[in-house]
Amino acid sequence: MIDRNLYLDKNKTVMFGIFENPDMFIDTVAKVHGKGAPIIDCYTPYPIHGLEKAMGLKRSLLPVGAFICGCLGFITAASLQLYIMHFDWPMVIGGKPTVGVSFVPVLFELSVLFTAFGLAILFFTRSKMLHGKIPTERVDMRQTDDRMVIAIATDNPSVDKNELTNMLFNGGAVEIKERTNNGYDDFTDVNINKGNNHVTANH
Amino acid sequence: MIHDSVIRPQLVTGDKTLHDVTNEICRPIENKPSTSWTVGFILSLVFLGILGLTLGITLAYGIGTWGLNKTVQWGWDITNFVFWVGIGHAGTLISAILLLFRQKWRMSINRSAEAMTIFAVMCAAIFPLFHMGRIWVGGYWVLPLPNAFGSLWVNFHSPLLWDVFAITTYFSVSLVFWYLGLIPDIATVRDRAKTEGRKFWYNFFSMGWTGSVRTWNRYEVVSLILAGISTPLVLSVHTIVSMDFATSVVPGWHTTIFPPYFVAGAIFSGFGMVLTLLVIARKVMNYQDYITIGHLEAMCKVVMLTGTMVGLAYITEFFVAAYSGVEYEQYAFVNRAFGPYAWAYWSMMTCNLIAPQVFWFKWARTTPWFIFMLSIVVNVGMWFERFVIIVTSLHREYLPSGWVMYSPTLVEIGIFLGTFGLFFTCFFLFSKFLPVINMAEVKGILKNRE
Repeated sequence: MIDRNLYLDKNKTVMFGIFENPDMFIDTVAKVHGKGAPIIDCYTPYPIHGLEKAMGLKRSLLPVGAFICGCLGFITAASLQLYIMHFDWPMVIGGKPTVGVSFVPVLFELSVLFTAFGLAILFFTRSKMLHGKIPTERVDMRQTDDRMVIAIATDNPSVDKNELTNMLFNGGAVEIKERTNNGYDDFTDVNINKGNNHVTANH
Repeated sequence: MIHDSVIRPQLVTGDKTLHDVTNEICRPIENKPSTSWTVGFILSLVFLGILGLTLGITLAYGIGTWGLNKTVQWGWDITNFVFWVGIGHAGTLISAILLLFRQKWRMSINRSAEAMTIFAVMCAAIFPLFHMGRIWVGGYWVLPLPNAFGSLWVNFHSPLLWDVFAITTYFSVSLVFWYLGLIPDIATVRDRAKTEGRKFWYNFFSMGWTGSVRTWNRYEVVSLILAGISTPLVLSVHTIVSMDFATSVVPGWHTTIFPPYFVAGAIFSGFGMVLTLLVIARKVMNYQDYITIGHLEAMCKVVMLTGTMVGLAYITEFFVAAYSGVEYEQYAFVNRAFGPYAWAYWSMMTCNLIAPQVFWFKWARTTPWFIFMLSIVVNVGMWFERFVIIVTSLHREYLPSGWVMYSPTLVEIGIFLGTFGLFFTCFFLFSKFLPVINMAEVKGILKNRE
C-alpha cells in the first residue's frame, strides 16, 4: 500500500502527468502501476470506472461502518420506544399490548437515518473533507473540468525519472510537472522533449 | 472503460466534449440572470409573500380561519400535504431506484428531481405543522422530548407519529444524498470562479474536493449504499402516509390496498411534476442535448405505467367495497362516485386513469408541448385524488346529523398557492446558484470524449 502521507508531506518530490483522454489515462496509470512506481493518487473530473483497479486500490471498508451505524440506529429506536411506551409510562390503547408491530416503522426509519448520516460523516472524515477546507492537492485548475492528473512519488532512488517521463509522455500526457521540495505550489514544468523519446507531441 | 451499446441511442447528444459539458452547465451560474429567470423569480416571491401572509393569519387567529368543521377535520391542509409529499417521491426514486437498476438516463435529470424532492417535502411539512394549531409548542407533540407536563410522551403506536419520523428521515436523507452528489460539481464551479464571493462560497461548500481517485472510490461506495437504503425509504414514506388513513376506522380509508396504491400514485405525481419542470427548463436553459426527447419519453412511460396502476387501484377499491358486504363501506364509494363531490371523483378518474393512456402512442411521448399539457393534467388529477379520498370519506359520517359539505376559505387557498411560491422560489434559486445537471455523472456517459 502506498503511503498517502508522501503527498501530504510537502518536502517530498512528486511528478505529475496531466492527461486529456480518459482512455489513454487509464492505460498509462495501469502501466505505471505495473512498473511498480509509487502512485500517490490520481485526480479526475468524474469517476472513471476501472481506474481504482488500475491504481491497485482496495475496496473501501465504509460498508462495515454503515452497517454499524445502522445497528446503532436500530438500538436507539428500540430502546427509545421500549423506555417510553413500556417502562416509563405504559400507554394501553384499546387493550393492545404496549410492545408490538407498531414499533416497526420507527425502527426502520431511525436505522436508515443513522446509516445515512453516519456514513456521510465517516466518508468526510476518511477523505479529510471539511467545509471551507482549501484544496491542497490542486495541480491543475482543470482537474475538476476536463483533465486527469496522475501523481507519482519520485523520492525513492529506484524510480527512474527519465523512464517515468517517457512513459507518461508516450501514454498521452499533455503536460508533465514536477513538484520540488519548496512547498505545495512550487511546480516546475518538465520539458517533455528532453526525454529520449522520438514521439512527436500529437495530443 | 465504458462499453457502450451500438444499438442504443446516445444519452447526451450534440457530440459534447468534457469541457463543453462544464461550460454549458456552469453558464447559468456564471452569467447574469436572464429576463425570464428574473420575471419568474419575482412572481414566485409574490406567491411566497402570500404564503407568509396566510400563515400569519392562521397563527394570529388560529385554524378557525380554515374551512374545517367538526365532521371534515382534514380538508385542504392534509390534501395538500399528501399532494406535496407525493411530488417529492420522484427525485429519490430517480436517483436511488434507477441507480440500482443501472438506468443511465437518470443522470441528466436526477439533480433537478432531487432538488424538487427536497423543496416539495418542505412545502408538505408546512401543512401538518400549522394544522397542529399552536405550532410553538408542537415540538412536544411530535418529538419524544422530556418535558415538565407530567410524563407526556408521544405515542409510538400512532401512525401520525410514524409519519413524523418518516418525513423527517426522508427529508434529511434526501438532503444528504443531494448534497453529496453536488460536491464534485461545486468544486468544478469553484475552480472556474472569478469573483471573490463565488470563490469563497463554492470553496466553502466543496469541502476541499480535488477529484482524488481515492475519494471517488469511497464516494461511489457511499452513493451505492445511500441508494440502497433510500429505495426502501422512498417506499416506506408514502406507505406510512397511507397508514395515516388506512389504520383508521373511517369507511373509504381503512383498506389494505392503500400502501401500494399510494406509492404508485406518488411516483405518478412525482414524475408528472418532474416533466412539468423539465420540459420548461430544458427549453429555457437550452439543455435539449442533455435532457433529450429520449429522457422525456422514458418518463412518459413511467407516468403511463403508474397511472394505470393507480387506476387499477381505484377500480379494485370499488370491487372490494362491493364484495365486502359492509354497507358503510359501500355507501362511501357510491357517495364518492355519485354523491355531491362526484365532479371531483370523475376529474380524478379522467386525469389519472384515462389521460395517461395517450402515452401508448409514440407521438404523445415525444412531443414536448403535449407532454407538458399532460403533466399538468396529471398534477391536477393527483391533487383531486387526495381531495376525493379525504373529503368525500369524511363529509358523510355514520350519523346523518353529522353530514356537512366542505369548502376551503381564502386563507386555505392562499396557503396552497403560497406553497407553489415557496417551491418555485427555491427552484429558481437552485437553478441560479447550483449546476442543474450532474456534470460529473454526465461526463461519464459521453461517447465523444476526445
